[in-house]
Amino acid sequence: MISLQRVSKTYRNGVTALTDVDVEVDKGEFVFVVGPSGSGKSTMIRLLLKEEETTKGDIYVGGKNLGKMSSWDVPKLRRNVGTVFQDYKLLSDKTVFENVSFALEVIGKPKHVIDQRVPEILEYVGLGDKLNNYPDELSGGEQQRVSIARACVNRPLVLLADEPTGNLDPNTSVDIMRLLDKVNRIGTTVVMATHDQAIVDAMRKRVIELDTGRVVRDQSRGVYA
Amino acid sequence: MRIEYYFRETAAGLRRNGIVAFAAMSTAFIALFLFGLSLLIAREFGLVKDAWTGNVQVAVYLADPVKQDTITRIEQKLQGLDAISTMEYWDKTQTCEQYAKLFAGQATFLEGVDCEATIPTSFRINLTDPSRYAEVTAALSCVPDAGGQITCAEPGVQKVSDYRVLLDRLTTITKVLQVGVLAIAAIMLASAVALVANTLRMGMFARRKEIGIMRLVGATNWRIRTPFLIEGLVEALIGAIAAIIALFALKVIFIDRLRGEVQFFPLIKNADVLAVAPWVLAAAALVAVIAGTIGMRRFLDV
Repeated sequence: MISLQRVSKTYRNGVTALTDVDVEVDKGEFVFVVGPSGSGKSTMIRLLLKEEETTKGDIYVGGKNLGKMSSWDVPKLRRNVGTVFQDYKLLSDKTVFENVSFALEVIGKPKHVIDQRVPEILEYVGLGDKLNNYPDELSGGEQQRVSIARACVNRPLVLLADEPTGNLDPNTSVDIMRLLDKVNRIGTTVVMATHDQAIVDAMRKRVIELDTGRVVRDQSRGVYA
Repeated sequence: MRIEYYFRETAAGLRRNGIVAFAAMSTAFIALFLFGLSLLIAREFGLVKDAWTGNVQVAVYLADPVKQDTITRIEQKLQGLDAISTMEYWDKTQTCEQYAKLFAGQATFLEGVDCEATIPTSFRINLTDPSRYAEVTAALSCVPDAGGQITCAEPGVQKVSDYRVLLDRLTTITKVLQVGVLAIAAIMLASAVALVANTLRMGMFARRKEIGIMRLVGATNWRIRTPFLIEGLVEALIGAIAAIIALFALKVIFIDRLRGEVQFFPLIKNADVLAVAPWVLAAAALVAVIAGTIGMRRFLDV
């Protein structure tokens, strides 16, 4: 599903974020990418979304070579890759329902699809009773659920999560992880960048450890360190 | 659904940037008004030129009643001259049609003048070189009389009119006025482009979070840009419509008052303003497109 082949990334200011990274992720896998701040986790996520270009090497997502993809096809890629961030990125002037429906509306989905899928996915993430609330009326964990619902409402093949529990307390984090696990079980490939040790240790999933831009460990059913 | 979406986005955008949008629209209005004005000036002076000179350098008027053999004889004489580059004979019908066209709507001239009886037929002549005018008068044995009229010994010729200087002056005045107004219009149009581009940028800045999310979930560039482009287009078109209304007002308030008052002075009509309107609208669209291109350049690479 995802393949990074000898990928290096040096930013224009000379900072090298990734060096010779080789990673294969199969369809339906759940992968943690761990490592200290600045180890290249976020760069990897950005590369997978084609928000950045590789300096060297190739990246394939769902069989497509991102380096050869025209900017015309980038939206298509992003429709197949859901994203969740530490800061939720919700629109405060829109309700829970509108935040999720926005993602479908702007890619041109018809109203009957929106009216069917949005309540369905919000029910799925456990917010079936908060459709008309605004983000600031919700707890952090609930807001992150909205953002997961938005990432999944278009049924992506891959879900990328960049520190999704970074702003949440341990109990809430566990709830969010249960939800991501649930999303993974219906076949979505999940790649989660994190430095939350407790969570990685508890989940016992595949762990890829980055250190100063290099893969130093790739272990199935691994722990944080 | 889609149209409704764009409409909603555009309305919200205009409301959000109220003052800046107003500045953009009013600048577009003034710019487009001046642009339209320069086109109308060209039309008005074109009419005056037609009325006063028929757009030729020399006219040879024939004495009424005109006989066919007079026409043929004079035509043959003139045709032999190298000094003449183009020559056309206007009979009564053509002369009076032109007269009616020039003074359409000015009842004083149309009803007060019996065209068939008063206005003579003529050969309309353009010279290869204005300095060779004398060759034409010589061919018809003409001499200027005491009153400045040029009368000719050639039978059948009433008089020769020398329009070289007048035509030249009218052309120069038209150019100076038109270029002057057009230059001001160009500067104003450039400001309009800058202001419209600026409102688009402010709009995009205000909605950068939304745009970021749209890109993340895979909205196409056009999906993101279109509401802003429409916003720019609406601003420019509102300016254009105001400009067209102002041009009509100008015609009604200033031009229509002169109608029939000034001797042999043709005036632009509603049809002229209507003919200018599409150009004003096209200029507005161009303003919007350039503003869109400039305003969104940096902001929206995937």
